[in-house]
Amino acid sequence: MPVVNVPCPFCGCLCDDIELMVHDGRIKSNRNGCAISKTKFLRHADDRLVGPSLRHSSGHELVSLATAVDHAARILSASKRPLVYGLSSTENDAHREAYRIAELVRGVVDNTSSVCHGPSILGTQDAGEPIGSLGEVRLRADLVVYWGSNPQVSHPRHLNRYTRPIGEFASKRTIWVVDVRRTVSAEAADAFYQIQPGHDLEVMSVLRALLRGHKLDCTEVGGLSIGQLQQMAESMRAAEYGVLFYGLGLTQSWGRHHNVDAAIRLVQELNEYAKWSMVPMRGHFNVAGANRTLTWTTGYPFAVDFSRGYPRYQPGEYTAVDLLQRGEVDALLNVAADPLASLPAAAVRHLRRIPVINLDPKRNLTSLIAEVNIPTAMAGIECDGVAVRMDGLPLYLRKVVEPPAGVLPDREVLRMIYDRMVSMR
Amino acid sequence: MSRSLLLQNCRVYDPLHHIDGEIMDIPIRDGKIVDSVPESASRIDLSGLTVMAGGVDIHTHILGSKLNTARAMCPEDHRADPVAATKKTRSGVGFTLPSSFVTGYRYSTMGYTTVTEPAVPPVKALDCWEELHDLTNVDIAMLPMLGNNMITFDFVQQEDLPGLAAYVSWILHSTGGLGVKVVNPGGTYAWAHGKNVRELDTEIPDWRITPRMILTSLCQAVEMLGLPHPLHFHPNNLGKVGNVETTIAQLESLKHIRGHNGRKHIVHLAHISFDALGMVEGGRPEWKDVHSGGLQLAEYANANDHFTVDLGQITFGPATTMTGDGPFQFSLYELTHSKWANMTVDVELPGGAGIVPYTYDPKSPTNAVQWAVSMEYALNIRDIWRCALSTDHPNAGPFTKYPLVLSWLMSKRQRDRWLTEMHPSVGQRSTVAESDREWSLYEVAIATRAAPAVILGLQATKGHLGVGADADIAVYDLRPDDIQRDPDRIVRAFSSAHLTVLGGRVVVKRGEVASTPHGRVWSSSPQVEESLHRRVVGEVRERFSRWYAHSFDNYAVPVRYRAAFETPMATPSVAES
Repeated sequence: MPVVNVPCPFCGCLCDDIELMVHDGRIKSNRNGCAISKTKFLRHADDRLVGPSLRHSSGHELVSLATAVDHAARILSASKRPLVYGLSSTENDAHREAYRIAELVRGVVDNTSSVCHGPSILGTQDAGEPIGSLGEVRLRADLVVYWGSNPQVSHPRHLNRYTRPIGEFASKRTIWVVDVRRTVSAEAADAFYQIQPGHDLEVMSVLRALLRGHKLDCTEVGGLSIGQLQQMAESMRAAEYGVLFYGLGLTQSWGRHHNVDAAIRLVQELNEYAKWSMVPMRGHFNVAGANRTLTWTTGYPFAVDFSRGYPRYQPGEYTAVDLLQRGEVDALLNVAADPLASLPAAAVRHLRRIPVINLDPKRNLTSLIAEVNIPTAMAGIECDGVAVRMDGLPLYLRKVVEPPAGVLPDREVLRMIYDRMVSMR
Repeated sequence: MSRSLLLQNCRVYDPLHHIDGEIMDIPIRDGKIVDSVPESASRIDLSGLTVMAGGVDIHTHILGSKLNTARAMCPEDHRADPVAATKKTRSGVGFTLPSSFVTGYRYSTMGYTTVTEPAVPPVKALDCWEELHDLTNVDIAMLPMLGNNMITFDFVQQEDLPGLAAYVSWILHSTGGLGVKVVNPGGTYAWAHGKNVRELDTEIPDWRITPRMILTSLCQAVEMLGLPHPLHFHPNNLGKVGNVETTIAQLESLKHIRGHNGRKHIVHLAHISFDALGMVEGGRPEWKDVHSGGLQLAEYANANDHFTVDLGQITFGPATTMTGDGPFQFSLYELTHSKWANMTVDVELPGGAGIVPYTYDPKSPTNAVQWAVSMEYALNIRDIWRCALSTDHPNAGPFTKYPLVLSWLMSKRQRDRWLTEMHPSVGQRSTVAESDREWSLYEVAIATRAAPAVILGLQATKGHLGVGADADIAVYDLRPDDIQRDPDRIVRAFSSAHLTVLGGRVVVKRGEVASTPHGRVWSSSPQVEESLHRRVVGEVRERFSRWYAHSFDNYAVPVRYRAAFETPMATPSVAES
């Protein structure tokens, strides 16, 4: 018997139509999933951390879970400014345990959104955001724009599952890609607008100006002719239901949150003429969840410092990259992320100098340098929980197979570390 | 810890038992109020203090996706009010958008023990259930929104009332809701087209139905199911000058509906300060011509008893407006050009909820009149049992302003003091200044606990201090003679309970949180005949595959998130015909 309608814990699409065949506690096949989803499920047992370990000069030594937990608790208790980081590839209950630890040690919590859609959140804090939902897009959109996003690669089923099938409340649909290069997604779209790198803000602003009927005294902006831009603005105004999906091409290019701010204001203004929404193309399957859990706990979506006993928020100051580059933190509790592989070199240099406690199912670059490694169950495959889709929909993740013997979910390991720290006080 | 407790020498205000300031003892055992306790019970002497049942809030936005979006979008709000962790409590933030832990603590500190989240998009109910694990110290009820839901529309269009009732029942089972909320029926849906629907008989886009049909059908479905709480209603045309006329027309449209088991009240009108805007004679529906419609609605209420209300009292100062009324929020954004978020929710709230931060200024001519709307109502309504206190938190102001609202209602001196600071429009366009009425402590106990408990259908165990009630108790350091001397004493006393007891456990002592137990979550569990249930689930499943972008199997909130807290209330069974 197949296990049906399983949500896929890979990207922010959280496709929940996955059909798995499970035999003898092993996943044999994955129907409906994309290539990445298939790999995630079928090879979940590969490259696993073999057991809790501590690092010595000669390498990692396997230890009991209790010993690893005790060591982790000692590191965190002794630390003056610990950072709790990651969280985007685990479920919500693990987040809640991680925040309890951060509050107890008066540390800093940051999730990986500070290096992906953090600027989107800053844009929202400037201007708000008319957020769309994937269901409504599928049912109603007649104009879909992907801006600075290459979904065919990053979210392989996004087009086929959410934006290509035209629902019963839209009679037609046009899909655009706006990007700095002709990607595979551009090939799949009805129209492609190539802009010069670093010119998103100008292009957005000009579209707004044209919408308002201003005349511009130039012939070209950001690689597009005024004629092309005029045509874009007119199509956007003429749409009945438009949606803007935006990716890291907008949030992490020159201008960052200013680009998102401009995009939000463009979409808000388009609501004067038609219905327009926007959706960030969230990457990790539960990065949106990490923002949500931290927000209901502290009021803030990322970059939260507990050093004064209450939450404070300051992106640029309490964000992981900035803390590490300044050499400010003296211990890292890393949960379900690989900062060594993804953060800039200057941040990584400091990471190598401080004790790292690493909770992850798999071996990765961070596990190589971690002082404590504790393998954990894979959320959405070996343990249940909740994750949040890119449009804010919470979905219940399944446990489809048992984790390897002795391996616990992140939330349980974090609870053990917390309890150990409390008992040491 | 002894499970028996005796509160001695309480001055009790318990309107459900007609007790108005009698001195008595309250025995508590195993979380309930009982006849007597053994000699060995621990005792607390409350001589001279005012004792009421724990406060019950019928309308406060404390959970869920739009609140969280608002929190994430407004760091400047939290910055004004950081809350440090203590040995007993977690840290967080307060102000107009308190974090989850702080929400529970602050309600508890005010002597509240039950709160109702009135706007849950059913598809995101899981969000709420997750969050309430971090919201302690209060019992909770949730109301899923169904007034712009396409599956609702389909049943209404087919005039399939049993089908609609069975669908409502399925939603309540799937989400753990207590009752049904309707927000701008059809109007929020129209917002998916960038439009609104303001009149009762205007057809909504894509469908052959009108707000009147949606409203009356859902109201009938709720009464058919015999849900504990009647339909919870946010009307069409909200926030529009002159809308008291449309609000009354909408209430009129429901008048013919027979209440379940002969109950009189078949609809609860939420946050009247936004629903009862009048217009000056010969004026136009523009803010410059706003007039309080509170008196007009109160007169209507005095002549018609099929509905109840909560105030949604405007409190002045910062607020964050958030409703499931997308087009209204957009018009507010156009007015303020402040931040604006809109959130669409698939099939259930096409067009979606909106969020706009807002500050009410007593010097603003319109805000001053808006303040007067619900105040005028509260000072002119004869039957306080149909009037619950609220600020529609955080729309008209945060719930932490309840004590201030009570001081306005209880003291003419306090009102006069505030009126001198307000724009003179309030004197010209409302009758608040002329009213001498002052609510008594008995009336306060009605509007803040007894009435909302009755309206929610929780009166078997909530809102009173009789034997068998949950031991949810609030003790305030307030004497009847204090009130006239210094209205600010009212504010101080209700802000900081001397003692709050939740389910028999002391949770607040002298205004400080003493313990952080979880409350229960009250849901209804309506029964429909098996064949009807099967038919409707089949139809919903089919519509699901057409309209939703996720699987039917992943819709219901899993038991794992509910088991620890959910307390279902039994309701009668409904058949196909």
